Amino acid sequence: MKRDNVTLAIAAALIVASVLTQAQKGPTPPNISGAWERYGFNLGQPTADGRRPDGTVPPRSEQPVLKPSYQKEYQDRLNAVRDANTKGAPLASNYVDCLGDGMPLMMQAMFPIEFLQSPGQVTVIEEAFTQVRRIKLDKPQKKIEDVEPGFYGHSVGHWEGDTLMVDTIGIKENIRYNNLPHSDQMRIKEKIHLVSPTVLWDEVTIEDPVVLEKPFTIYYAYRRMVDYTLLEYICEDNREFKDANGVQQIRVGDSGKK
Amino acid sequence: MKAPFAVLVVLAVAAPALAHHSFAMYDHTRTVTLKGEVTKFQWTNPHGYLEIDVKQKDGATKHYSLEMTSINMMMRLGWRSNMIKAGDKVVCTVSPLLNGEPAGLLLDVTLPDGRKLEPGVPAVNTFKRTPPED
Repeated sequence: MKRDNVTLAIAAALIVASVLTQAQKGPTPPNISGAWERYGFNLGQPTADGRRPDGTVPPRSEQPVLKPSYQKEYQDRLNAVRDANTKGAPLASNYVDCLGDGMPLMMQAMFPIEFLQSPGQVTVIEEAFTQVRRIKLDKPQKKIEDVEPGFYGHSVGHWEGDTLMVDTIGIKENIRYNNLPHSDQMRIKEKIHLVSPTVLWDEVTIEDPVVLEKPFTIYYAYRRMVDYTLLEYICEDNREFKDANGVQQIRVGDSGKK
Repeated sequence: MKAPFAVLVVLAVAAPALAHHSFAMYDHTRTVTLKGEVTKFQWTNPHGYLEIDVKQKDGATKHYSLEMTSINMMMRLGWRSNMIKAGDKVVCTVSPLLNGEPAGLLLDVTLPDGRKLEPGVPAVNTFKRTPPED
């Protein structure tokens, strides 16, 4: 009898310890690992017929409001892009140089996107241009001046309940969200969470106290792809190039590539 | 064999409206129909290419380079790299390059056995199709 009681007490203690440990760690994060495709909208807009049947199509993305000293540059650039397209002489984007989106535009997932959850890190891979970003979990964010600017910056994140909260700094100033200028003070905050078992949202808020009057939020949504493995993407034969006027041109004729 | 390609065309219509590279340098107001012989089906990113020789009325041969979409998009629509081979006689619906050079954007291609394939050009309905010249 005595031995049974001791055994029971030990078992109970182990269960309590396990529960406490789990409580300290927080709830198990949802499983977002796997391949996803852009879902139900075009750049944050509702579907063409306006349907939001089950609440999984996100709201319209907000438009940035720039400080007056940056508004003209931004509007001039948008006008120039539109006019160039109308004339059939499009201005070259970074894609013409075989460069990927960088942040935050990578998260639009023009091609399928993959999330990988591993201890201490969430890795995001975008198929187009084989773009990769790493989100370090439960680490303090660095000071902006301590981060060398890059395409994807320095990202830290943590789970708040079922939402992955991510903070990103250190984006090169020539890596732009739809031609929007930004300063080295730009900070990208994301809330990544499932809205249904098969639909994931990324609510992306861009802060930039130098360029923007106020933060604005864009919404990306993804639908889980079953049994899809991201394909390789190498920018192997880019026949397009940027001429001296910044216009996209194309080399005509067989390039000799296989 | 034909059923999978019927699906292919349907899927192409639903292809994403975004593209990596602007297609504004191609003529959206008309198409040309090119009947020619494939010299190469190039399976590369950022875009695939179909290289064809087209016999002219005077007997000379003119070479055209036809841009496709990303092979990743094409693969998701069901394309494979061996679907077209050098020597195949094909009929291509093409949005010509505005500057008049012998190149264009391939909107669809009809293979020798009659199958018609689309590479999934984004917003393909914004390209006005005009009847073949002859």
